[in-house]
Amino acid sequence: MTSGASAADVRSILSLPAAGPSSGPSQRTIPALPGTKARRSKPEGISRELYALIGPSAPSLSAQIAKPKFKQKPNLGGGGKAVKEWREFKNSARGDSMRLSHWAKASSDPDAEYPFAKYNVKSQALNYSQDEYTRLLEADTAWTKEETDYLFNLVAEYDMRFYVIADRYEYPGGEPRTIEDIKDRYYSVARRLMRNRPWPSDESSKNQALQGLQYDKDREVTRKKYIASLENRTPEQIAEEEALYVEIKRLESNERRFARERDELLRTLAGVESGLASVAIATSADEEAFSSLFGDGKGNKKKRGLDLDSPVSAGPGMISLGAAPATPTRKVQSAKSAAQDALHCIHRLDSSSSQVTKAAHQPVYLRSFKMAAPKAGLAPKVHQALGELGINHTRMVMPTRENLQIHESLIEAASSLVETKKVVDKIEMELLVLQEQLKERQTGTDKKSDNMDEDDVGKTEDADGEADDADADADEDKGERATSVATSIRSNGNGRKRLKRSMSMSSVDTTATNATRTGRKRQKA
Amino acid sequence: MVNYGADEVSAIVVDIGTSSIRAGYAGDDTPKCVIPTSYGYTIDPNEPGDVPMESTEAMNGEQKVGASSSNAKLHIGQNGPSLYRSGMEVRNPMQGGLINDFTPIQPLLQHALVDNLRVDPSEHPVLVTETAWNTAANRERMAEIMFEEFKVPAFFISNSGVLTAFAAGKGTALVIDLGHTEASVTPVVDGFVLRKGLTHSSLPQFVHAHAKHLLANPAAHRQPIDLTPHQLISSKKPVEPGMQPIYTLRDDRIPGVTPTWREWYEDREVDEWIMSVAAVLDQGWNDQAAAARGPRQYEFPTGYNNMFGPERFFIGEQFFTHSPHMVQSNPNIPKTLPALIAQSLSACEPDLRTVLLANVVLCGGSSLFSGLADRLNNELSRSFAHVKIHAPGNPTERKFGGWLGGSILASLGTFQQLWVSKEEWQEHGKAIITQRCK
Repeated sequence: MTSGASAADVRSILSLPAAGPSSGPSQRTIPALPGTKARRSKPEGISRELYALIGPSAPSLSAQIAKPKFKQKPNLGGGGKAVKEWREFKNSARGDSMRLSHWAKASSDPDAEYPFAKYNVKSQALNYSQDEYTRLLEADTAWTKEETDYLFNLVAEYDMRFYVIADRYEYPGGEPRTIEDIKDRYYSVARRLMRNRPWPSDESSKNQALQGLQYDKDREVTRKKYIASLENRTPEQIAEEEALYVEIKRLESNERRFARERDELLRTLAGVESGLASVAIATSADEEAFSSLFGDGKGNKKKRGLDLDSPVSAGPGMISLGAAPATPTRKVQSAKSAAQDALHCIHRLDSSSSQVTKAAHQPVYLRSFKMAAPKAGLAPKVHQALGELGINHTRMVMPTRENLQIHESLIEAASSLVETKKVVDKIEMELLVLQEQLKERQTGTDKKSDNMDEDDVGKTEDADGEADDADADADEDKGERATSVATSIRSNGNGRKRLKRSMSMSSVDTTATNATRTGRKRQKA
Repeated sequence: MVNYGADEVSAIVVDIGTSSIRAGYAGDDTPKCVIPTSYGYTIDPNEPGDVPMESTEAMNGEQKVGASSSNAKLHIGQNGPSLYRSGMEVRNPMQGGLINDFTPIQPLLQHALVDNLRVDPSEHPVLVTETAWNTAANRERMAEIMFEEFKVPAFFISNSGVLTAFAAGKGTALVIDLGHTEASVTPVVDGFVLRKGLTHSSLPQFVHAHAKHLLANPAAHRQPIDLTPHQLISSKKPVEPGMQPIYTLRDDRIPGVTPTWREWYEDREVDEWIMSVAAVLDQGWNDQAAAARGPRQYEFPTGYNNMFGPERFFIGEQFFTHSPHMVQSNPNIPKTLPALIAQSLSACEPDLRTVLLANVVLCGGSSLFSGLADRLNNELSRSFAHVKIHAPGNPTERKFGGWLGGSILASLGTFQQLWVSKEEWQEHGKAIITQRCK
């Protein structure tokens, strides 16, 4: 340390005057620089000895090196130490002048309100005057004025905790009261008072307040008895109930499975939605099992389900004819299920979306993705037909909901036209074949049957007249299919006629049921 | 501070039980001072004049009793009854969970508050607990002691069942408290005891007596066990299990032993045995299950040691069932735990039963009996649906549940308005206690 001390230090230690230029020849004079002042005030962070050695020429960085900057301490709770003192406080919730002490911030106001005094809230106790009692409340002879007073005091004391009130209720000389007696008396008194006192606001709020004071003693007693009987069940009874419950659950799941299986069969074989509500339920959560169990009646639903199925199952001929007449059946179906929907307040989305039963959740999509496309087998012909009309159906500039609906119906109409045309062609082909066969067998003709057949053909041709030219090339298939179709027709007799009849019958049926149903509905309403 | 509603006014909570007195600051999680309630006293015929002894033993809680026996010297605290003193009698002021004799209460509290906690009672509000079947006279006497003798600024007395429910964080609960002598079942609704549903019996005392009877009487495979406390034994030799103990008594002490002290100490030995060996089977009594659990070894102060097999489970069974012949021979046999619970529940509203059973709180020192909580759970769930038992795993919480609840209650900011102040006491007298402490 001494080696590091400069002459100035020695001087300051010995308290000698500062070295002047005349101090001695040996003394190296330090020129009076303008920075002397700066030298005297040494920068922060450098020890005095070090500064004396290196002088004012110290690199400016050294200050930073000497004093590393630490991360700033987190400022928790905003500032400084809280000075607290043990201080008496006045609790305004107390009725007396007792002063307890607690630790409080020294900076806080000593006369401030005790922060917990505000929680001292009393529930509003109901009271009545002598006059009100004689006028309104004396009717109940089972209660004296004194006992009613006693009751109301207890209610005020225990803040309407009726369990506690009933427990502490010991009116001297009075008969023992159950909790129902107590509640009944209290609420009837409260109701009567409220009804006969002037009400500050409107009538509806008064009624509402009265509603809150409603108490049905008999019902409460019955309820309590019911709870008691529940508790008094023997273990055997409980076990039996459990077993019954499990049985119900099992039956229910069986029912659901059957419905699902039938639905699947219908879909795969006939391409039809069964429209059974239970199938939709089956895919949803178990809670709804209850509603299906108790809400509607199981047998009823089952019956209705069969009812719905009948038009479909009546037409095995359609299946043998291929998928062609699927569209009209679906229409019948939807007409029928619409009636059912109306009955059950079910709102279905449009038919295209209801076809998709499996996808419970649909992600976000562009509506243009949902543009209807014709069936793969018919696609080229539908394309052609629409192309001839100058419609480009694969692209839509404005795929709005309405446009899509129109587009869908267009596609449907086009494909049904194509399908109808096909059927017509087949029938014509068959007719030709049959006529040829007849001619070959005998030259004598059976006029009756011929006429009928021609009639039929004429009708269909009338109906499908527009489609004829569009389906020009459908005739190409005729030759190939003619033989197979002919055999199927033969085995069926006149299947087409039967189909027609069943269709019309089913439609009549639906309208009839529709009418009766709506009639019933109206009666109910 | 306001967030959790606490405001410390440095209140003291005192919980007087049959086996121990607990005292400590409100807001703590354990009582700072736990001293036995039993006290010893010696009668000094020639007026106590041994001053040097007094000054050293004042720390150990030796007090003088004024009124009743002028020259009796009390021995209180950890070194009170448990030390051998020639001619010392041992007494317990409690009976059936209530304070029966108020004479030693003042010295006991003095010892707990002044000698152990080292506080000046006149500076601290005091919260005292009571059992649900406490009498009005008793609580008023308690208030009198606090106000007149300890000069406390404020006082409150609260039900230990309610406090136990608070300690478990519940306002509504069915509190099953198994104390040193009393077992009680207290339905608590919204912080109020339903007095009609309150049941209690001296079941733990009976179990204890049963255990003592079992040990002190000869069994098929062993002789009666000598329960002589270690204070009276000068030397002993290790012996094989089941062998006759080899020990020598301290003949100098034998003449000075009083029957009460000996009984108190033998009870302690039985308690120790119960605590370390006895247990209860979790599914009713079953000879095979008891045999399958295996025996446990225990050594008494005399050096006698043995393996205790099924009989250690037989003790715990007394909490739940009494054998028919025992019921016949003893008409005043205390009610078993399931009987107490069933009686309590049947006296409650049917609506409340499910709520109470979903909030069963088990507490008290005797509830630490090995396996008792599991057995109770099994017993209850056999007869009721949806039972949930809250039994703290921490022995401190179990033992001092009532104190803990008092500690919570007295440190609440909203509670500070409920204290009965000295001023109110002087103005209204004893009536204010019953009026305020519902």
